[in-house]
Amino acid sequence: MNQSVSRELFGDKRLGFYIYLGVEAVMFATLFATYIIFTPPSKGVTPTEAFDLRSVIMASVFLLPSSATLLIAEKGLKDGSRVKVWIGLITTFVLGAVFLGLEVHEFYKYAVHEGYTISMNNFMASFYTLVGLHASHVAFGLCWMVLLMLQLKRNLPSALFNEKQKIFNYYWHFVDFIWVMIIIFVYSPYVF
Amino acid sequence: MNLPSIGQIPSDVVAAWIFTIIVGIVLLVWLTKLKKWPVVFEYMRTTHHRKIGTMYILFAIIFFFRAGMDAMLIRTQLAVPKNDFWVFQGDKYNEVFTTHGTIMIFFVAMPLLIGLMNVAVPLQIGANDLAFPYLNAISFWFFLAGGLIFNMSFFMNSAPNAGWTAYAPLSTDTYTPGPNINYYILGLQVSGLGTIFTAINMIVTVIRLRAPGLKLSKMPLFPWSTLVTSSLILVAFPVLTIALVLLMFDRFYGTSFFTGEIGSPVYWQHLFWIFGHPEVYILILPAFGVFSDVISNFSRKKVYGYTSMVIALALIGLLGFMVWAHHMFTVGMGPLANSVFAITTMLIAIPTGVKVFNWLFTMRGGVIRMKTPMLFALGFIPTFVMGGVTGVMLAVAAADYQYHDSYFVVAHFHYTMVGGTILGAFAGIYYWYPKMTGKVLDDKLGRWHFWLFLIGFHLTFLPQHFAGLNGMPRRVYTYTWADNVFIFNAISTVGAYLMGISMLFVIWNLYKTHRYGKKADGDPWDGRTLDWSVASPAPEHPFNPMPKVKRMDEFWYRKVNNKGLEYADDPRPSPISVETYQPIILAGVMIALSIAFIYLWVWLQVILGAGVLSFLVIRSLTDERRQAYREEERS
Amino acid sequence: MKKLLPLLTLILLSGCSLRTLNPVSNSAEKITDLIYLSFAIMMLVLAVVFILFALFIRKYKERPETSDKIPKEKKENKLLEVTWTVIPIILIAILAVPTVKATYDITSTISGPDDGVSKEAVVVKVKAEQFRWEFTYENGKQTMDELVLPKDQKVTLRLSSNDVIHSFWVPRLAGKMDVRPNKENRLSFVPQVTGTFQGKCAEFCGAGHANMRFETKVVTQEKFEDWLASE
Repeated sequence: MNQSVSRELFGDKRLGFYIYLGVEAVMFATLFATYIIFTPPSKGVTPTEAFDLRSVIMASVFLLPSSATLLIAEKGLKDGSRVKVWIGLITTFVLGAVFLGLEVHEFYKYAVHEGYTISMNNFMASFYTLVGLHASHVAFGLCWMVLLMLQLKRNLPSALFNEKQKIFNYYWHFVDFIWVMIIIFVYSPYVF
Repeated sequence: MNLPSIGQIPSDVVAAWIFTIIVGIVLLVWLTKLKKWPVVFEYMRTTHHRKIGTMYILFAIIFFFRAGMDAMLIRTQLAVPKNDFWVFQGDKYNEVFTTHGTIMIFFVAMPLLIGLMNVAVPLQIGANDLAFPYLNAISFWFFLAGGLIFNMSFFMNSAPNAGWTAYAPLSTDTYTPGPNINYYILGLQVSGLGTIFTAINMIVTVIRLRAPGLKLSKMPLFPWSTLVTSSLILVAFPVLTIALVLLMFDRFYGTSFFTGEIGSPVYWQHLFWIFGHPEVYILILPAFGVFSDVISNFSRKKVYGYTSMVIALALIGLLGFMVWAHHMFTVGMGPLANSVFAITTMLIAIPTGVKVFNWLFTMRGGVIRMKTPMLFALGFIPTFVMGGVTGVMLAVAAADYQYHDSYFVVAHFHYTMVGGTILGAFAGIYYWYPKMTGKVLDDKLGRWHFWLFLIGFHLTFLPQHFAGLNGMPRRVYTYTWADNVFIFNAISTVGAYLMGISMLFVIWNLYKTHRYGKKADGDPWDGRTLDWSVASPAPEHPFNPMPKVKRMDEFWYRKVNNKGLEYADDPRPSPISVETYQPIILAGVMIALSIAFIYLWVWLQVILGAGVLSFLVIRSLTDERRQAYREEERS
Repeated sequence: MKKLLPLLTLILLSGCSLRTLNPVSNSAEKITDLIYLSFAIMMLVLAVVFILFALFIRKYKERPETSDKIPKEKKENKLLEVTWTVIPIILIAILAVPTVKATYDITSTISGPDDGVSKEAVVVKVKAEQFRWEFTYENGKQTMDELVLPKDQKVTLRLSSNDVIHSFWVPRLAGKMDVRPNKENRLSFVPQVTGTFQGKCAEFCGAGHANMRFETKVVTQEKFEDWLASE
């Protein structure tokens, strides 16, 4: 059986998506630069006052393992086991959703309870744009997973589903990687 | 002659409405009468690279006339001292030069070059289409959507007015309230997205879809320049995207990144030029690629110093990222930063010089055939070198304190952008026109176009050097007799009209060619590269069977030795093209979404945003690969 | 061509009186020298390219007898390639050294509040706002759109803006310096000739940018003292 069509076309798509992730990386890098330039701020709330260690750790506890649970789904693809794919996708989805809930809670706490609004100073402004962009990537990833599960229920050619699943995996690992960067550059200088 | 405004609306806007409506009606009647609607619908749902490339070029030329009108208005207002032409003083003049600059860069130069890449790159490397045909259609319709959003502003009497650089804090809502700059932000954002997608598409195409045996080291220089340019886009455009997002937050959501006590206006300049300087190389490198191919073709010689040409391309691209602050010498960065950026800027002259000498020596010993594309290439060499040497003069940081933001700079970048990019685009259009439409543009009218354009160009921009040296700042709508720059401006205006007239010859040429022109064969210029081995216009699946390549300019050497191309047995599968209205509808939703942002209608933003996302779902569910993979599974 | 001749002479004549090429201060003079140096080097490059260009086109243009000829391919000449890489490097080195020197000479390194202003210098605070200039002297005297300076004495301008970015430019006296909000820039020079020189805003700043001009009067030191003391 000749697999060259799906193999070559997937190769194109994978390279294209890698390049796209590079584009995203440049966007995030620009926002990181913005954050570093404007933090700590000359007036208004400082990061040491605003951040608390507990919520960062809580959020990380949920998001970082989701890269690992996604590996179960990847393994499922290799073994041809739909059950593993389902388990991997669902656990990843749950972890991601909890993370997003915690993020929304953190934003709500800052903006409404403490009154650190986006216009307070440029530290808060760049924090909200950077971490907000990341959170929206997680939200986008959750929707994407729902779509993937839908595709899994439909009867797609296996090569096509593998392709879609793999592209999503790259995306999710990338989003996780950005979170690690956020811990390093945004939180860690001020919470430890 | 002076009709400042009709009611609340300036008369130029009224005139534009009337003009556009009349042209629109004429166009509709004409299309119906000639029964051309099926063709229009065919192009609306196509994903084929040649058709998309042709549309890029068509709309770029329309925008060229639009922004060219701006140029005429600018030059008319500046023709004599203390002039009071129509409504173009003060803010109205500011709007005109802002739209002139922005449209020329983003909606003329970019799409002209991207259009040529679309048409020529797959054909030159033996690919049956770009790697992602569907994405390519998205890119094109996003570009057009961006262009329409940006141009809509003028018809709503709120054209952007902070210059194409939109320097903060002038571009923040404190100093420019109203929707004007919002149009600028959203228009660039949407078209920028399209540009990023195109760059991804081009890189994957060049890296993975070359014909068997066509190694990178044997590839023609236009695809090479496409590869380098696309890489530059990938780094430069995301920075612009984020800069625009931050500016949008400043304007919409009360942040102060670039303004107020805590903001940094200079940070905007850094971000803008980290994008903006690579952008000018994005605009010039593809033109270099076109010239390399054209000069080699019309001298009947392979390009001189191929390896050094490729290295020079890469070096220019690399250095392009290390020079952005030379736009900011007078901002007060201190002597160290100024000196460093002065030297890196001067270094760019070296690879550029190598390219110029290689072009000259490509011609040496050849047979130089003076066809229209070659004329543009020959006009380019001295013109661009003049722009290049003023570039080195501008790099002298201390001297730039005098040149900066004066007409000297205006002259310099028009010498490089018009003398390089626009002449390159014209050369490319005349050169590949048969591949796009199957007809060769008329040579005699092409000559008229070339000579009028070139003479008009030098008349316009050479005197501007002197106006700048005599102390005329850029972006002023008037000057006095005492300024002593009248003579320069007067000549400049005459030249500008000459350039305007030369463009009428393009319209005449298009008309004449399509009315009376004969059908062209596959190889009208006696070409060297694979694009000339297929029929004109290029068919949907041109390389079937797929040629095998053993050396550079394979097609030429086989032709000279009276042999046909060899064919490969088992080429890789081609990308799957589809016919779909999804991209154009998505672009329509993007326009509506942008308007919701421009006028801050939050509920509409939410609804239309959801609409855009739902397109991703539709796309995933209607994936054209499903069919192809199913067949593969069965076989 | 004959009709163009008077026009060309006219351009050349006005070319000789171009403001930036007729400096009347020490720093503007340095810039003018640099402009001439870079212009000379660049004309050399331009001449080489133009001559080769004209030569090759004349010699290798298609003629009836060569219209079917297929030229022989020759190998690249390594020596030539090295030449046109190395010579530009040398030219740029020649240009880079005086560039860096002049840049350090005329760019103020200090932008702090009060330090670094020498006692002898006349210090003028320059405030720019849409669309006017306000000059404040050390004794509190203020003028609007008119800057008066003494001849042969060092002048230090402390530039800042009340709103958007402007740029201070008196072509005959000094190169530009941007005038920014919330940040002070410095500009120093020694005027060497008395007279009235036009000054302009050189950074686009909004609707009235073109009319944001001022006059600079350089007077003798005695006259300057008198003027400063008067109401």
